[in-house]
Amino acid sequence: MKAAVDKGLRTGVIFGIVIVVMFLIGFTVTGAELVGKLFGVSTPSNTMPSLSFFALFMILMGTWTGTIAAQHPLVEADTWKRALTAGISAGAFSGLLAAVIGFLFGGLNSSKIDPRTYLPSISPESIKMFLFGQTSLVGSLMIFALLTFSALAGASLSYFLRSNNGLKSGTSAATNSISAVMRSERMTSLLQNKYARYVMMLVFAAILLILPRTWGSYWNYVFGTVGIYIILGLGLNIITGWAGQLVIGYVAFFAVGAYTFSLLTAPEPHHLMLNFWVALGLGVLAAGISGLLIGLPILNLRGDYLAIVTLGFAEIIRIMLKSDLMTAYTAGPRGIRDIAGPTLFGKSFISDVDFMYLIIIAVLVVTFLANRLQNSRTGKAWYAINLDETVARATGINAFASKLLALSLSAAVAGLAGALFASRNQFTGPDDHALMVSINVICLVIVGGIGNIPGIFLGAFALKGLPEILRETESYRLLIFGVLLIVMMRLRPEGFLPAKRPKLEKNSGKEA
Amino acid sequence: MDKPTSTPAPGKLRLGRYLRSFAGILAGLFLLWRLYTALIVDQQFGADTWVRFALSGLILGGMYALIAIGYTLVYGIMFMINFAHGEVMMLGAFGCFFTFEALRFIPAPTLAIPDLNFLDAHPILSVILAFAVGISVSATAGYFLEKIAYRPLRKAPRLILLITAIGASIFLQNLAMLLFGPQRKNVVNPELLDRGAGWTVIVSGNPVLISYTGIFSLVLSAVLMIGLYVLVQRTKLGRAMRAVALDKNTASLMGVDVDNVISKTFIISGALAGAAGVMWAIHMGLVNHYTGFLPGIKAFTAAVMGGIGNIPGAMLGGMLLGVIEAVGPAALGIDFQLKDVIAFSILVLVLIVRPSGILGEKLSEEKL
Amino acid sequence: MSTCIETKQVSKIFGGLTAVNTVDVVVTENIIASIIGPNGAGKTTLFNCISGYYTPEHGQIEFYGMPIQGQPTYAVATMGIARTYQNIRLFGDMTAIENIMVGQYPRFKAGWVDAVLSTRRERDEEKQSIEESVRLLKFVGLAGLGDSLARNLPYGAQRRLEIARALANKPRLLLLDEPTAGMNPQETGKMTHFIRSLRDELGITILLIEHDMRVVMDISDQITVLDYGTKIAEGKPKEIQSNQRVIEAYLGPDVTSLTKKYQLRKKQRYDAKS
Repeated sequence: MKAAVDKGLRTGVIFGIVIVVMFLIGFTVTGAELVGKLFGVSTPSNTMPSLSFFALFMILMGTWTGTIAAQHPLVEADTWKRALTAGISAGAFSGLLAAVIGFLFGGLNSSKIDPRTYLPSISPESIKMFLFGQTSLVGSLMIFALLTFSALAGASLSYFLRSNNGLKSGTSAATNSISAVMRSERMTSLLQNKYARYVMMLVFAAILLILPRTWGSYWNYVFGTVGIYIILGLGLNIITGWAGQLVIGYVAFFAVGAYTFSLLTAPEPHHLMLNFWVALGLGVLAAGISGLLIGLPILNLRGDYLAIVTLGFAEIIRIMLKSDLMTAYTAGPRGIRDIAGPTLFGKSFISDVDFMYLIIIAVLVVTFLANRLQNSRTGKAWYAINLDETVARATGINAFASKLLALSLSAAVAGLAGALFASRNQFTGPDDHALMVSINVICLVIVGGIGNIPGIFLGAFALKGLPEILRETESYRLLIFGVLLIVMMRLRPEGFLPAKRPKLEKNSGKEA
Repeated sequence: MDKPTSTPAPGKLRLGRYLRSFAGILAGLFLLWRLYTALIVDQQFGADTWVRFALSGLILGGMYALIAIGYTLVYGIMFMINFAHGEVMMLGAFGCFFTFEALRFIPAPTLAIPDLNFLDAHPILSVILAFAVGISVSATAGYFLEKIAYRPLRKAPRLILLITAIGASIFLQNLAMLLFGPQRKNVVNPELLDRGAGWTVIVSGNPVLISYTGIFSLVLSAVLMIGLYVLVQRTKLGRAMRAVALDKNTASLMGVDVDNVISKTFIISGALAGAAGVMWAIHMGLVNHYTGFLPGIKAFTAAVMGGIGNIPGAMLGGMLLGVIEAVGPAALGIDFQLKDVIAFSILVLVLIVRPSGILGEKLSEEKL
Repeated sequence: MSTCIETKQVSKIFGGLTAVNTVDVVVTENIIASIIGPNGAGKTTLFNCISGYYTPEHGQIEFYGMPIQGQPTYAVATMGIARTYQNIRLFGDMTAIENIMVGQYPRFKAGWVDAVLSTRRERDEEKQSIEESVRLLKFVGLAGLGDSLARNLPYGAQRRLEIARALANKPRLLLLDEPTAGMNPQETGKMTHFIRSLRDELGITILLIEHDMRVVMDISDQITVLDYGTKIAEGKPKEIQSNQRVIEAYLGPDVTSLTKKYQLRKKQRYDAKS
């Protein structure tokens, strides 16, 4: 029994800290808003969400606490008494922490001290909400009770489900279900049926053709960005996902592509006004060459160094672009404007619909490229280097040349994305090429599924698409990324859609 | 069977070695040209300005050195780059800020000055408190970082560890931003340590200020560096740390509690970063969530420059980088806007020309 | 019969430790040559010098007359030398058949452009590669397991897979580092038979590091004995078995006198009885 209380203590303290931090960063308000959204109620800005939504949010947190605390123990027998004890103690400890904080801040409210001088995310209204609109004492008691009992409920629920179904954990069930659906026997056999494939491709093509015309320029912009990030993800995947060399400054190649393209097509500062396609090709080439040049001296050093050098390189580029020194060549901090849009046979097709088509085509091309590379001799060499470079070398792979190729190709793909990005916005400046872009791409590749093409699609949609839908979480986006990276490396480093090796022996019979 | 293929022609690998030295010579010549132009031809700055630059460089260098030691300690013991180390320093700086703010609101009236606050009344005590708080916060952060994020991944491939470190860095940065707001906070020093106060020295006819905060930071940095060196070379813990850095398994067979030593290493590296953070807050005066980012990367550059894994190297690299960064833009005739470029360029250059650093990297040969 | 591999006065020195000390080994082609010696004698280090992982401080290594010391490992592999490892080093997250296909790497030519454009060369080579790999799987007795992840295979299968990967290179010299480690007598027998077939059916020269003396004495055409980095004996199995220096290297320097004492006492008891 003592162990149960211990588990409850640990879980409760952790969740208590999480709830307190959530309160301090204002996420309690956002959480309540999200809950409201689930019920179709949107909270207008500058108003607090309804108290019942907040209560529901806290109940959810409490239930989760209880579920974790009541998890099947390894040392003790799994009895309902143990589960409930763990649950209620977890709830009590987390409730205690929340109550104390609530009480303290309630006191601040009564003394009319505004916490926003030092903690700008907490407003007097958010404190009031945290205390359910009651006085400090009553409010803190209420939150204590709420958390305690919802944890108890969560614990009983999970124990009940466990003893009847053998269901292990909700979180793993969720993540496995996506992979399960994609890998199920029916799905795979369906995918292999020739006719089914053709039909699916036709349907898919139809969707791709029709949607951009119908959903309006806002969504074209959003999904255009998603498309560009898919391209970036596929590019980073080559050097980091397959060849296993971490690159932090990936945005450097994005910048080379964007700026080469822009400088060649914009009226100022150089007035070269090259053809869109020529400039695009040159942008890709320039990016690829920059990858080659960086790789030459660094790639036979240890893997970590490439990551740092690219970081340094990316920052150097950004600072130099922003400085006045290079303004004569690169238009300085104001950026380059009036970059050309694409033209086909003289006719410019610059509408957002047409550009969306262009991005879709680019995505398809890069995906095709990536797919062919993945299972080729070159792709296998990359993966071998990733798994065990020494042995890869001993089997005859020139690791240096192979890695150099991977980096150059990755850089070239980034250049493509950069040029397209600049062309679509008809503008590019040093702030478009901040480190954040690199971090976004790393996140989407890792979270989606490292080394796996469908995973990258998933990651890009989640990373760029979801925030549009969940507008409320805008300010917390990066925090969630950070947590996601840490948690996923611990629990599921291969990503949501892990890469799977092809079944070559089984299929060899069919082809022969 | 096929005949043996002929010996492959000397490829890029052979060329690479000469490429390195060639790049080094090129860079060296470029630097010499810029130095010549700036120092001999233009002569824009007088000796007093140089002294001012050198001084601020040394002070900055001391802080970089402390942070760099943290990187090198962790790398030596776990072969990972602790990307979140800059954020650990930032937390220390915040610790100092909040301590000063809190002490400012405690009234300590005297007969002469009725509205005196604690901070100004007891400056020395306040500073000590600030350091205590800052160092504790950072050390604790380092401890939990290791315990929660890195320890479970001890056996994982390096890529995973690096990504976790990046995740931790992003997390801490954004947590600080959400908690404390993105605005930079002004650190109000006790009156005694006012940023403008100090001794004045006349150099070639012009006054040069040697600020109290600056000297204080420099002296404290030196003390901490010496302290750390003694710790690593002379104490039992230091011996254990060196053993674990050389060969984890053997050390554990010899009775060293490896987990404990690694924990303590993170605590120490965090403490040093925290001290640097407090110094930063006192001397530079502005703190926000982003404060740790640039110094973090620069300190890492310093560690690599000195030879990663090498503690005296980190100290040397830190001091050197500080001075180069302060003196560099003027000496090379480059715009001051580009001063960060200097640090990054050094990083790239060092890795290209001499990746083992000035004092050499402690590598363990990969065993088959 | 030409010389397959020859080390001439090769020394490998690590700081204060001389791991391999002026070792001369000559191996003619199409034989099984074993390198034995107590632990730490420098056997694996010698392998590493041959495969190009280390560059010897002194001496030369010649492969069919061509100097290979100091060459990078991938060049040595391309020339036709393949190896296995003491602690199995497969590409764990790849399937068995993929491991073999990586082994074939130096023999094919399709590059990234071929892959992207799906040229004739790429498609033909891919087909050939898979066919050969399937045949190799059968050859080592792993047919049907080709699509399993290498790290999920049982120990014995992993050892055989590693050999299959080495064979995929169609090497003329195969370096086997303790191939029977961890095997029971039955598996060891099979492995011994298998190694022999490599020499007889495929005409490969095999350089073997082994600790199991029965295996060594059974299949070796030639045995070289190392002790503390120096070659102390070389010859056919029978000669090595009775070589005093070799016995002392394994059992300690007193073994000769102890053995003599033991034999003397035995004779005394026998005489006393009769």
